[in-house]
Amino acid sequence: MRIANRRRDPLTKRLIVNRVATAIPVLWGVTFLTFLVINRLPGDAAQQLLGINATQQQIQELRSKLNLDQPFITRYFDWLGDVLGGNLGRSFASDQTVTSILNERLPVTFELLAYALIVSLLFTVPVALLAARNPNGIVDRITMATSMAGLSVANYVLALLLVYVFAVKLEWLPAIGYVNPSDGIWPFIKSLTLPAVSIGFPLFCFYTRLLRADILEQMQGEDYVVTAKAKGVGPWRVLARHALPNSLFGLLTVVGLNIGTLIGVTVIIESIFSLPGIGGALLEAINNRDILVVQGIVLVLAVIVVLCNLVTDLLYTVLDPRIRYGRTAA
Amino acid sequence: MGAQLPEAEPHVATSALTLAPTAGEPIERRRGWLRSLDVVIPGAILAFLLFLFFVWPLIGPVGKPTGGNILNSNIEPFSQGHLFGTDPVGNDIWSRILYGGRSSIEIALAVQLIGLVVGGSFGAFAGYWGGALDLVLMRVLDVLIAFPALVIALAIAESLGPSKFHTILALSFFSVPAFARISRAATLRLRERTFILAARLSGTASPRILLRHIAPNIVPQLVTFGLLGMGVIIILEGALSFFGLGIPPPNPSWGNMIFDGQQVLSAEPRLVLVPSLFLFVTVLCFNLLGDALRARWSAV
Amino acid sequence: MSGAANGDLLQLGDLRVDFRTAGGPVRAVDRLSYSISAGRTLALIGESGSGKTVSSRAVMGLLPPNAKVSGSIRFEGEELVGLSDKQMRRLRGAGIAMVFQDPSRSLNPTMRVGAQVAEAVRSHADLDRAAARTRAVELLKLVRLPLPEQRYHEYPHQLSGGMRQRVVIAIALASSPKLLIADEATTALDVTTQAQIMELLRDLQRQLGMALIMISHDLGLAASFADEVVVMYAGRAVEQAPTHELFARVRMPYTKALLEAIPRLERPPHARLPVVPGRPPDLAALPPGCPFEPRCPNRQDLCRESDPPFAEGEPGHRWACWFPCNGGGP
Repeated sequence: MRIANRRRDPLTKRLIVNRVATAIPVLWGVTFLTFLVINRLPGDAAQQLLGINATQQQIQELRSKLNLDQPFITRYFDWLGDVLGGNLGRSFASDQTVTSILNERLPVTFELLAYALIVSLLFTVPVALLAARNPNGIVDRITMATSMAGLSVANYVLALLLVYVFAVKLEWLPAIGYVNPSDGIWPFIKSLTLPAVSIGFPLFCFYTRLLRADILEQMQGEDYVVTAKAKGVGPWRVLARHALPNSLFGLLTVVGLNIGTLIGVTVIIESIFSLPGIGGALLEAINNRDILVVQGIVLVLAVIVVLCNLVTDLLYTVLDPRIRYGRTAA
Repeated sequence: MGAQLPEAEPHVATSALTLAPTAGEPIERRRGWLRSLDVVIPGAILAFLLFLFFVWPLIGPVGKPTGGNILNSNIEPFSQGHLFGTDPVGNDIWSRILYGGRSSIEIALAVQLIGLVVGGSFGAFAGYWGGALDLVLMRVLDVLIAFPALVIALAIAESLGPSKFHTILALSFFSVPAFARISRAATLRLRERTFILAARLSGTASPRILLRHIAPNIVPQLVTFGLLGMGVIIILEGALSFFGLGIPPPNPSWGNMIFDGQQVLSAEPRLVLVPSLFLFVTVLCFNLLGDALRARWSAV
Repeated sequence: MSGAANGDLLQLGDLRVDFRTAGGPVRAVDRLSYSISAGRTLALIGESGSGKTVSSRAVMGLLPPNAKVSGSIRFEGEELVGLSDKQMRRLRGAGIAMVFQDPSRSLNPTMRVGAQVAEAVRSHADLDRAAARTRAVELLKLVRLPLPEQRYHEYPHQLSGGMRQRVVIAIALASSPKLLIADEATTALDVTTQAQIMELLRDLQRQLGMALIMISHDLGLAASFADEVVVMYAGRAVEQAPTHELFARVRMPYTKALLEAIPRLERPPHARLPVVPGRPPDLAALPPGCPFEPRCPNRQDLCRESDPPFAEGEPGHRWACWFPCNGGGP
């Protein structure tokens, strides 16, 4: 299905500008909130960093080194200035720059997420179609029951169970560890499979319910479906060629907007499987009380989420022909 | 898992289970009490679980969840006095399950209530009055929702230190904006209905409209959303405890029990399996119940 | 016209449609009988809820699963009631075709217009893509769509209401149906376009020798285009006659009220438009007597107690009324 001829009508342009403009205060708010949450909360940061045995002098030294004796606002703008200049600070524990930590770790997380998303979507579409073919039929009921169960399982539980079955008992896949793609494509894929399934299976359950519901809504409520049937088009073609493309919009929007939650989920999974991703880095930083690293990572993750939301919003507005002449025409 | 749609959308999908609406449901309902099976079964199981967690330890023979004797470690299940055996430190697993369950539900309930009251109110105000208040609120919500739930919860919990109260605070960060979104969307839809317009035209004061007309109509939706979210919050709390940032050990939480059990997974899988099973059943029942109620109340 | 078995293309005999709803069974169509032969135009007139749309969907077999159809629908002698969906698909588009009311909703918004016509063509003919495309363009020309080759590649929202309706008609004609059902085909259009589309339908009918059933609430439209009129109320036929006869000697008070509601040039400006008082009946709670009784100017006690039979009071003219206009009472 090719993209509709985008006559750059002023309405669309205005929408795009509007959305982008809205994102800017949100991005700013994100920086502020990050700084606030991590720095404003009670507890003397320097004290926590140095531990119980620190002397008063050590604490004082660290406080002035980290500028902790400055007012909050000053510190905030200092940090913001640094960030906008590209300097996210250095890790207290390892002296590595936060930026390089991100460069090292983000790709792994993205690979994991991509793997999980692709696999889950690959299964979602056919299963949702099969379920929608006969609402309340056998396939539908089984799908609904399974997906409900799948959604009710915590993904760390699923991860541990998968490890127990596939790594410990069957020894098909590794329990922990990450293999770089440059060291072998197949081992790379194997090392990410269990983590990807831990994330991907609940995702599949979620998306399948969503897509099935949307497809059924199209099939039961929309006039163009009746037209298609009235032409003599067979039921599978009506499902796949008419209802599905219209439903995919809704699904893809949710996928895009759900990236935020997904990133949160990977933190746990990376920890269980000892993957060198951003989640692992965050946890390490938290354990080490590495304030700057925590700040930097949280900020970057939140910015990624805002950008993903923005892109999804824009794509939805531009691509969906229905938005043009409006669902409001109902 | 929360999902948020762009503001343009009149219907806001918020959790996986909100999305399997009346589409595809059988039109012919079964007779009488059978009709309510979808509510009764999960409801009954939940009631039983709540009884187990909150009442049974007070009246029945339940051991202490902490302070176990290391000499008692790793006793087999179904042995005398230890229904599920003991853990490597000697604590009785059954009592840890019960007390852990109680904490989980207490926390989830508190988080959802805070979300409902605080988030629900803000959302309703913003939806009803619109204008600058609404604009500001929407941006604030966008900022809050931009943070991956777990990430921010971890950061907060870490800053404050692990404790039940801090966990509730950290998780409220996540539930308040979610409720606010739902509440705002529902209020917006409601505001244009004729009976609201009639009330405004007849001069009814705004607070009264909000209280008497808007609130009763959005509360069912909020409650359903709250129920569906209980499962998510319990799982999140488990995740926090898993990392040692939720309920502080040695107090039991299903999360930290699972974490502890992870280390002996190959040898004694039951240490992971038992809390996981309880977690699963509890979350499943909340989900089923929320789903069933939503199907009912949205048909109204 | 009534009862002639030979030469009748479509014959409805005592058609009943019941819906299973949460509140109990609802009879949407009650003992409907009419017939139509090739080249003729029948108008099915009624308010919303009168059963006119449901009865035609029943002919196409396009009712939702909770509908139960009984009685007889014969098309070219073949009984349609009880046929499976697969068997009905043979006829849909090829034997009987339908044009729906709202062209902005009856076309798939994410599929190009030409492709939708081509799909209709290929549903009943084994043509390759190129041949189907040629035929589709021919059809678009047939319905007088300007610039058909260009419009072929456009999406529905790029066309005006009138153009979309032409596309819908092209889709309906794709497999040369013998009977075309136009369900409020012009209601959603402005008056000028309405006239154009009706002219188009009439010309096409003459050209192709089709039978046409036009469903509407507009008696004025029926006057201009139909050979015979069936007026429906509360799911039943209440008056049936050749058009000129109906207008000359209307019997049913309901029909009379509908006639009077047609705006006329002879009336003084700003004169109040006579409307039928009251509201359409609740099909789930029909009174025992005549369903029109609460709103009827001629009503008497007998009407409330007893349901008047739909009888042929004069050759070719049937009505269901105890106290009809223009004489003819019990």
